[in-house]
Amino acid sequence: MNTPHVHLLLNHVPTVGTVIAVALLILSFIRKTDGLRRVSLELFCVIALITLPAYLSGLGTALQFEQNPDVVKAIMDRHHDAAVFGSIFMVLTGAAAWLCLWQRRRLGRSSGAMIGTVLVLSVLTVAAMARTASLGGEIRHPEILLDPEAAAAVTAEVAPSFMSAAAIAQFVTGHTWVWPTMEALHFIGLWLLFGVVMLVNLRMLGMMKSASFAAVHRLLPWAVLGLGINLTTGMMFVLGAPGQYLENIAFFWKMGLLLLAGLDVLYLTVFDAPWAVGPGDEAPPLEKAMAASALAMWVGVMYFGRMLPFIGNAF
Amino acid sequence: MSLAVIVSLNVLAVVAVVAVVGYLIDRSAER
Repeated sequence: MNTPHVHLLLNHVPTVGTVIAVALLILSFIRKTDGLRRVSLELFCVIALITLPAYLSGLGTALQFEQNPDVVKAIMDRHHDAAVFGSIFMVLTGAAAWLCLWQRRRLGRSSGAMIGTVLVLSVLTVAAMARTASLGGEIRHPEILLDPEAAAAVTAEVAPSFMSAAAIAQFVTGHTWVWPTMEALHFIGLWLLFGVVMLVNLRMLGMMKSASFAAVHRLLPWAVLGLGINLTTGMMFVLGAPGQYLENIAFFWKMGLLLLAGLDVLYLTVFDAPWAVGPGDEAPPLEKAMAASALAMWVGVMYFGRMLPFIGNAF
Repeated sequence: MSLAVIVSLNVLAVVAVVAVVGYLIDRSAER
């Protein structure tokens, strides 16, 4: 399996998956089924996580295809620009959906404003992802073009808008202050994320036993904010110097562990077992194993991030 | 303005925004 293969496998998840999740969400309004709504929110979170490797594998594929004479680079760039836009909406949808699930735990229900936010963001995501998928198909499938001549004409005049991948890359590498600012913010996001995740998982392992799991879980939105900072700054690094990351084995390990650790943040919110741990309670062995592995994965994310230049070829 | 000052001001601005957003989300848990 190589990078283009991974991209082909994953690229349908944000498109088809989001359509299914939106359909479930709308169906939950019609049927007034709470369980269906919960499943759709969980689905948004999982799809947002999978969007990360879907996007990165696409970027890796683009690097490999740049020298391929059968591929028009301008068509790939259009697809990439659409993917940047679609991925941002997808991650925002996932974050809002997670917040809804967090609210349900705290208040027993999500606020109407948050559910409305998820609905609006997810519909925008479907539109952005449909466009991304369509433009992606045009790279290697000329048979789907309705007007090949018009498509060829468009590709010749691609002008980077302020949201294009090229414009972001130019912003990151064209100013001396951007990279150090992003690095500082990446570390602030890191301690915000790891600090809170560590507290929650240490409680599961048996520390701070007088506090209930619910009490420490209360802090988790701060961790998700930290994750948001790091996804934003991290994506800017990747767009600024894609070769440093996408041809770097340490980066693959970092992203793989990040996905699994991200699923753990979802697990801590949506599964009932951790929530049964009250003040003074000992967590069951399975929950302890989950907590220990989550901590190990987060340490792994940081370790491989720090080792990017030493195991891999960054900088 | 030196690079260090520009970077520091930018970082402070982002941290301030994150703190406000985090506070508002955190407060929503009490309603």
